[in-house]
Amino acid sequence: MKFGGSRPKLAPDPDLIRSLAKLLDETGLSEIEYEAEGQRIHVARYAATTIAPPSTQPAAEAPAPVTKPPAGTNGASHHRNGADDPGILKAPLVGIAYLCAEPGAPPYVRVGDTVAEGQTLLIIEAMKVMNQIRAPRPGRIARVYVGDAEPVEYGSALMQIE
Amino acid sequence: MFEKILIANRGEIALRIHRACRDMGIKTVAVHSTADANAMNVRLADESVCIGPPPARQSYLNIPAILSAATITGADAIHPGIGFLSENADFAEVVAEHGFTFIGPKPEHIRAMGDKVQAKVMAKELGIPTLPGSEDALTSVDEACTTARTIGYPVLVKAVSGGGGRGMKRAHNDAELRSLVPLAQAEAQTAFGDSSVYLERFLDRPRHIEVQLLGDGQGAVVHLGERDCSLQRLHQKVLEETPSPGLDAAARERITEIAVEALKRIGYRSAGTIEFLYQDGEFSFIEMNTRLQVEHSITEMVSGIDLVREQLRIAAGAPLGYDQTDVHLRGHAIECRINAERAEDFRPSPGRITEYHAPGGPGVRVDSGLYQGYEVPPFYDSLISKLIIYGCDRQECLMRLRRALEEYAIGGIDTTIPLHQRLADNAEFQTGAYDTGWLERLLDHHG
Repeated sequence: MKFGGSRPKLAPDPDLIRSLAKLLDETGLSEIEYEAEGQRIHVARYAATTIAPPSTQPAAEAPAPVTKPPAGTNGASHHRNGADDPGILKAPLVGIAYLCAEPGAPPYVRVGDTVAEGQTLLIIEAMKVMNQIRAPRPGRIARVYVGDAEPVEYGSALMQIE
Repeated sequence: MFEKILIANRGEIALRIHRACRDMGIKTVAVHSTADANAMNVRLADESVCIGPPPARQSYLNIPAILSAATITGADAIHPGIGFLSENADFAEVVAEHGFTFIGPKPEHIRAMGDKVQAKVMAKELGIPTLPGSEDALTSVDEACTTARTIGYPVLVKAVSGGGGRGMKRAHNDAELRSLVPLAQAEAQTAFGDSSVYLERFLDRPRHIEVQLLGDGQGAVVHLGERDCSLQRLHQKVLEETPSPGLDAAARERITEIAVEALKRIGYRSAGTIEFLYQDGEFSFIEMNTRLQVEHSITEMVSGIDLVREQLRIAAGAPLGYDQTDVHLRGHAIECRINAERAEDFRPSPGRITEYHAPGGPGVRVDSGLYQGYEVPPFYDSLISKLIIYGCDRQECLMRLRRALEEYAIGGIDTTIPLHQRLADNAEFQTGAYDTGWLERLLDHHG
């Protein structure tokens, strides 16, 4: 989704992505997220396995090259689309996401919370109607992608539930 | 003038509207389905909002999603484009209720022209010539025969709630009519949920002539000439041209004046087109489209008037600012609708565009969202490009058309460019002597 502000560039910065990918190698991290000037870039490595008995799977530990991202990584996007990621809750409608029942109230859920199936995780307001967005199955909130009062489109990544 | 307009459509018309907005320094919001995330109009728009998955019902026809997108982006107005919600009077009303300007006609005119029988009644009241037919739905087979003898055979039995040329049956005499009426009623019930049928005289070799109109909703109405859209296949237009090679000046004068007077009487606002069948020197009203048409571009070429820009100006409340004497129609223009289909059998051909080179040069305009690497989605209608040619007269136009078609390279998918080349080379087409059945007869003979 392109939203607000000046006309965005049509393509992400390849040099930046390359240097982020290099950082992954050097530090051994599996994900780096970088945000500046309204753009957010997320680079992740999905190795087949990193904890395994020695010698059997050396090739699997190489990070995915930037030019051919592994399934599930978008490289650069304003909102992580999450099309291939398991456990990503995506917005089923267009509207404004609210993380709390009302201003000043505590959020419905936080990272680390365990949630039950059907539990309200956030609200998306569309045309003055507050739509409760519920957990499709039980799990643990691993990530929250949207901020409070942030506009979302159909398919925007909302939360990751493990 | 609006600061931000949401374009509730897709494909080349969404790109067309985007361009008119950007010409006026207006910001654009492109709403799109997931299948259109990489469409050119989405890439170019200032802002974009994904409103649903590919099916139109969940995206381009999804009124709450579109309104929500307009709200979160702070749009001032919504342009509905062509098809989808453009002739949905309820949508026009709900847009206004939510504080956005609907770029188009008044809802009551959209509604009036959307009902086929009511539109014909209204046309008659406004002095527009209509085809002789039954005044209302048929109540019995005997009534059908009496009516048919008044109208004159052959007659067409048509569904009141039908459309798109579907389910029409032709009868040449009483015996045929007696057997066809119950059949037509049964089919109408199945297809449209309403068994009501009516009769209309059948024309065997008409031309399809339509008049482009612009009204400002404050009393001023002008026409921008007519278009000949007789070249059709299965009731879908393939190629359009203006002026019509089948009309003389007197006939043109007569029908454009009738159309303008009718729209002045109802205080019509925005762009609109009245469609007629023309045969044996007589015009008959078919329907009115209360929206922009795909082939509006050829009218722009001969008039020098940007129709989308006029829609925006009028929607913002501006008066037309000119009258008929200021409208000068010059030269000749032709549009080829290029579809992602095999030219031999019209089988759909979606897929990835591997090469793309559009023609150019004097008098050549291409309205298309195609680019190298673009994936033509399989979910929507197959129109992918409009090739629009202008010439000082029909002859120059035809020469230029042939040249431009030679240059146009679209690789990776099949397109109907070869069909248009066949038309450009066809002697009968070159004389301008064709009617609404001509193209199908040509295709049948050559397979």
